[in-house]
Amino acid sequence: MTDATAPETDRSTPPAATRGRGGEILDLVLLPSAAILLALVVGAVIMILSSPLTRGGFNLALPWTAYVALVQGSFGSFDAIVSTMSAATPLVLAGLAVGIGFKAGVFNIGAQGQFLMAGLAAAAMGVATAGLPPVAAIPLAVGAGLLAGAAYGFVPGFLKATTGAHEVVTTIMLNYVAIQFLAWAVSGPLRGENVTFARTETITTAVLPVLFGRDGHLGIAFAAIAVPLLAWLLFRSTLGFEIRTVGANPHAARYAGMRPRAILILTMSLSGMLAGLAGVAEILGKVHHIPAAYSTTVGFDAIAVALLGRSHPVGILFAGILFGAMRAGSGLMQIQAGIPVQMINVLQAVILFFLAADLIVRAVFRLRSSGESASELQTISASYGGGGTA
Amino acid sequence: MRKHPGVAFMAILAALTLVLAACQSSGPDLGLCRPIGDAKAPETPAPTAAAPGSSDLKIGLVTDVGTLDDRNFNQYSWEGALRGAEIIGAAEPSNIVTTASSDYAANIQSFVDQDYNIIVTVGFALGEATLAAATANPDVHFIGVDQFQAGDDFLAGAGLANYESLIFSEAQAGYLAGIVAASLSKSGEVAAIGGSGTIPPVVNYARGYENGAKSVNPDVKVHIKYISDDLGVAFNDPTTGKSFTDQFRQQNAKVDVIFQVAGKTGNGVLQSVEEGKIYGIGVDVDQWASTPESAECIVTSAEKKLTLAVSDGIAAVGGGSPRAGNVSYSATNDGIGLAPFYQFADLITDDIQSKIDAAFDGMAAGSVDPCKPSGLCYAGTADPGT
Amino acid sequence: MLHITKRYPGVVANDDISLDVRAGEIHALLGENGAGKSTLMNILYGLAVPDEGDVLLDGRPVEIDGPNDAIHRGISMVHQHFMLVPVLSVAENILLGDEPMANAILLDRAAAHRRIRELGESFGWKIDPDEPVGNLSVGWQQRVEILKALYRQARVLVLDEPTASLTPQETREIFEVLRRLRAEGHAIIFISHKLYEVLDIADRITVIRRGRVVGSRIPSQTDEDDLAELMVGREVQLTVDRGESHPREPMLVVAGLRVNDAKGREVVHDVDFQVRAGEIFGIAGVAGNGQDEMVEALMGLREVTAGRVTIGGWDATGASPRSLHQRGVGFVPADRHRYGMVLSFPLTDNLALNEYYHSPYARGMVRDEAAIRANAERIIAEYDVRTPSADVPGSSLSGGNQQKLVVGREFDGELSLLVLDQPTRGLDVGSIEFIHRRAIDRRDAGVAVLLVSAELDEILELSDRIGGMYGGRLAAVLDARTANREEVGLLMATGGREAVEAVQERAS
Repeated sequence: MTDATAPETDRSTPPAATRGRGGEILDLVLLPSAAILLALVVGAVIMILSSPLTRGGFNLALPWTAYVALVQGSFGSFDAIVSTMSAATPLVLAGLAVGIGFKAGVFNIGAQGQFLMAGLAAAAMGVATAGLPPVAAIPLAVGAGLLAGAAYGFVPGFLKATTGAHEVVTTIMLNYVAIQFLAWAVSGPLRGENVTFARTETITTAVLPVLFGRDGHLGIAFAAIAVPLLAWLLFRSTLGFEIRTVGANPHAARYAGMRPRAILILTMSLSGMLAGLAGVAEILGKVHHIPAAYSTTVGFDAIAVALLGRSHPVGILFAGILFGAMRAGSGLMQIQAGIPVQMINVLQAVILFFLAADLIVRAVFRLRSSGESASELQTISASYGGGGTA
Repeated sequence: MRKHPGVAFMAILAALTLVLAACQSSGPDLGLCRPIGDAKAPETPAPTAAAPGSSDLKIGLVTDVGTLDDRNFNQYSWEGALRGAEIIGAAEPSNIVTTASSDYAANIQSFVDQDYNIIVTVGFALGEATLAAATANPDVHFIGVDQFQAGDDFLAGAGLANYESLIFSEAQAGYLAGIVAASLSKSGEVAAIGGSGTIPPVVNYARGYENGAKSVNPDVKVHIKYISDDLGVAFNDPTTGKSFTDQFRQQNAKVDVIFQVAGKTGNGVLQSVEEGKIYGIGVDVDQWASTPESAECIVTSAEKKLTLAVSDGIAAVGGGSPRAGNVSYSATNDGIGLAPFYQFADLITDDIQSKIDAAFDGMAAGSVDPCKPSGLCYAGTADPGT
Repeated sequence: MLHITKRYPGVVANDDISLDVRAGEIHALLGENGAGKSTLMNILYGLAVPDEGDVLLDGRPVEIDGPNDAIHRGISMVHQHFMLVPVLSVAENILLGDEPMANAILLDRAAAHRRIRELGESFGWKIDPDEPVGNLSVGWQQRVEILKALYRQARVLVLDEPTASLTPQETREIFEVLRRLRAEGHAIIFISHKLYEVLDIADRITVIRRGRVVGSRIPSQTDEDDLAELMVGREVQLTVDRGESHPREPMLVVAGLRVNDAKGREVVHDVDFQVRAGEIFGIAGVAGNGQDEMVEALMGLREVTAGRVTIGGWDATGASPRSLHQRGVGFVPADRHRYGMVLSFPLTDNLALNEYYHSPYARGMVRDEAAIRANAERIIAEYDVRTPSADVPGSSLSGGNQQKLVVGREFDGELSLLVLDQPTRGLDVGSIEFIHRRAIDRRDAGVAVLLVSAELDEILELSDRIGGMYGGRLAAVLDARTANREEVGLLMATGGREAVEAVQERAS
C-alpha cells in the first residue's frame, strides 16, 4: 500500500475519506439496518412499559405479538405481500423524488403538494376521459398527473434558480397552496354530481388495472420500473452525472461547464414528476376518485424513505418497502396486539433519529475501528470550530 | 444591500395586519359564561339489558383519519362497539385507526381477512369503501356510522342485506337546540354558523334550529351563516371558524347564542364564543366534554346518540336479526337529543324543559315537524343562509 | 513520546516513533504529507490511542483522554486550518469550550476580555476582543489561535503548519512570537514541510517518512538538500532545471480588465498583460490582492465588468468555462476543493469532470464507463497519482495527490493556455518538484502558461517574466533573468513602485 492511503488525511476531508468502498457499503446497508434494529428495540421497550395501560395488562411478550402480527400482516400471505407492495408504491416513488433532489443538493419538501396536484390532475383527466377505452384513458390520465407534478416541481426550482428563494420555504408554501387548491377544485368545479360528500366522480376507464392479487395494480409496476430507470439515469447517464456534480460541488460543476441553474430546475421538475407519479398511482390505482380533503402522509414519509435509503434508488426501494410493510402490517398489529397505529410513527421516527444520530448507532454496534474514530472526531470538531470543509 | 420594493411592501402589509389584529377586539363581551365548577360528564351507563348469553362474533371498528380517543365520532362509536359487544357477550372488539384516506379499504380488508363478523366503519368518508367491502363480503355485517346509502328507496339504500347505515335526524336535534337558544337569549337574536350550505346534514341542523327557536319565540331573529363552500375550510379549519365568528359578532353585537355546525372549524366558532362570553351550543357529540377549552360557554349540544346507535346495530346482529339499509335515528328511538346543561342547569327552568320535552315527544309522534313547512330542510340546492 | 506504534487497517501510520520535546525548545517535525505527522500529533492530543508505546508528560506516563483532557494537561494544538468561528468575536473564539463563569448562569465577559487584552499586549499586539474573527487577516487569525492556546495555559504547544497561509512578513512575526514563547519556557512542536522555515526556527529537527523516524538533525549541522533527501527518501532537486524559453506569438492578451468581487466592489482595476506561447508569465502577489477574482474572470467563473480578453485571437471575454476548455485552456485553481474536484466522487469521475459529455466518455446521454476508467488509469499512471485504485473517492487522497490529479486532468491533451493559480500551495516538496517539472514541460511544448502565486520561490523558479499584483493593479513586469528575490518581494509588498525604482537604479 502506498502512503497515499495512509490514514493521516487532510482534516478538511469528509468522514468518508478513509473508508472508500467499504465505507459506501457501511453507509448504505449497515447503518440503516442498525438503525432499524435499534428502533425495533426501542419500540419493544415502549410497548412493554406502556402495556399496563392497555386492556391486556403488563405483558413482556407484547412486542413479540405485535411484531409477529406486523410481519404477518405485511409478508404473511400473498395478499399481505401484495398490499405491502401497494402501500410501498407511493412511498418508493415519492422517496425517489426526494432522493433525486438530495442528489442535486436540493431539499424537496414539496412532494406532498406535487402528489396532490398530480392526483387531482389525474382524477380530473380520468373523469373527463370516462368515454374513452382504457388504452387511451389511462395514458391520458397518467400523463396529466405527470405533467401537473412536474409543473408543480418546476415552480420552486425556477424560483430558486432565478431569485434564490429557498426551496424549503417555497415548497412548504406550495404544499398549502395545493391542499387549498384541491379543496376548492373538488368542492367546486370538479365536484361529482351524485356524491354524498365533496369528491370527484368515480374514475372508470382510466383506473389502473389490477394485475395480480387483490390490489396489485399497474402503479406498482410504475415504481418497479422507476427504480432501475432512476438508478441508470443517476449513475450511467451524463445528465445524472451533472445532477450529482451540482449536488456535490456546484462550483466544480460550473467550472466543468455544467449549468447548475438549469440542472436545478430540471431536477426539481423531475422530482415533482416522480412525486406526481406517486399521486397518480394512488388515485388511479387505489382510491379511484379524489376527495376535497385528501389526507395522506406520503409526502413527508417520502423524506424519511429517502434518508433511510441514503438517496440511492435501490436503498429507497428497500426503505419504501419497509415503510410500506409497516403501513400494511399495522392493521393486523392493531387487531392482534391492540397496539395503536401510532406505534408505526414512533418506529419511523426512531429510525430517523438513529440515522441522524449516526454516531450513536456506530457506538452501539462498534461499527468502526479506532482509526475512523479519530478522523470522525476530527471532522466533528473541525465543523464545530468552523474550520471544516468550506 | 439593495432593498427589494416587494419585500418592503410585504413587510409593511404584515405589520399593518398585526396592528389591525391587535386593535380589533374580538367583539363585545356579554359575560354570560360560567366556570364549569365540579360538573362532570356522565359515565357511559352500563348496558341495561346485559344479556348474559355469549357470542363468538368478532367485532372490529375502523375509524376515520384521526385518533381513537377524539371525544367525537371515533370515540363514541368505539364506546358503542364496546357496549354492543358486552350486550351480546362477544369478545372485546378490535380497532384500526386510519392514518390516510387511501387506507380505508385496506383497513376494512384487514378485518375481513381475520374473519371478523361485524365491522363498524366510522364517518361518511368511509361510505364508499364500506359499500364495496359489503358487496364483496356478503357474510360479514357492516355498520356504517353517518353514512347515507343512496338508492332508489330512502330506507333500503343500496339494497344490501349486510350493510346498515346509521343516519341521524339532524333537523330534530337542531330543533331542540333552537328551543334552548331562543329561551336563553336575552336580546332575541341567535345564530347558527354552519360549515357549508351545500351539505345536507348542516342545513338540516340549521333550519331545524331556526324552526325550534321560532316555536318558542316567533319574533326571535335567527341568523344562519355558512362559512365556505371549500370543504377543507368549512369543516377542518378552526382558525377560519374563529375569525369568521369574530367578524360575525362584530357586526351582530346583539347575538348572544351561537350554534356551531361546522365540525373542527366549529371549534374555532366556539373559541370566539368563549371570548365573547356568550352562549354556545355544540354539535354531534357532547362538546362540553370534547372541547373543554370552551366548556365555560357551552350550554348544551345537539347530539347524535352514536354510542346507542352502534350498540343497537351490534345487538341486532347478535340477536339474529341484523338490520340493513339506512337505519334512521331520531326522537322516535331516542337517537338524537340534547347533551346535559352542566353548570347552566339552573337556567333551564321547568317551563323551558317542558317545551323541550313537548317538542321531543311531538317529533317522536310525528306531530311536530322540525322542517316546517315543507318537511324538507335541505331543498336539494345550496342553502343561502339568512 | 516513546516507541509509539499506531496501525490502521493495511498500514502502519506510526512505527516505533520516539519524540521528545523539552521546555524552552522548538522541536520541528518534518515529513511529507502522509508520513504520519498528524497521526502522531493526534495521539498526543488524545484523538487517537497508540497500539504500542507511551506518552510521557513531565516524565510520567499519561493516558490522554481526548482533546479536553489534553488541554487540561497543558497541551494545546494550533491547526493548519484554523478552528475559529468567523462570526464569533476574538474573545468568544478564545473562550469557546472553556467559558469563564461569573456565576452559575452568566459568563464573566469583562474579566475574560481583560485577560485577553493583557495577553495580547504582552506580545505588543493590540487586540480588540470584540472584533469578529472573520474580519481579521489570516496572520491575525493565527495569532488568535496562539492566544487561545496561551489563554488555556498551554505548556506544550503543537503548531501544525502554522505558516501555510501566511506572507513572509507574517511568518517572520509569528516566528518572533514562537521565539519569545520558547524563552518563556514553553515546549513547542513545530510541524512543517517548508525546509527553510524549519532551519530558521527549530532547535532540533526530527524527520519522519512512512511512519518511521528517518533522522534527527540540528539546524547548524544540516541544509535544505539534506533534509529534503531525508524527507523524500531520494535526492530531490529543489530547483527545477529549465532551459531557455522560446516565446512565440502572444496567446493570452488581457486589456483593461476590471472585475468585481462577490460584494460588488471592484478588486481588479484596469489590468493589462500578455502571455506568449512558450513562456511562463508569473504574477506574484499576496493573497487577497485581486488575483483570485482576476483568474476566475479569465476562466469564465466571474463576470468581467470591463476590458477584453483574447486567447489566440479569439475574443474570450466572458466566455463560458466549457468553451474555454474546448479551446485548450487548462486551469489549476487555487482551491482545488472548490473548482478543482468533487471530493466525494471517485477518481474516475474527477478525471473526466469537464469532458464527461462528449466522446469517448459518452455517447449521447450514455456514459462510457470503460473509456472513463481507461482515461483515469492513464492519467493516474502518467502523473504519478498515488492511489490504491481509480475507484476511491477524491477525498481519500492526500493533498499532494489531489493536486496531481487536478494537474493531470488539466495538463492533459492539446493545450493553448494553462492558468495555474497557487498550484503548489500546501504541498510537500516531492509534489512541488513534480508539478513544476510538468509546467515547464508544457511551456517547452509551446503552451502559454500564466502562473499566479504567493510563493516567491515558485515565481522565481518558474517564470520567464514576472508581474506583481498589489491592490488589484498589475505593475512592473520584470524579466526573470535579471530580477532578484528582493525586487520581486517589493513588487508583491508595495505594488511595484519601489521595485521599479530599484531596477531603474541598478540599470543606471
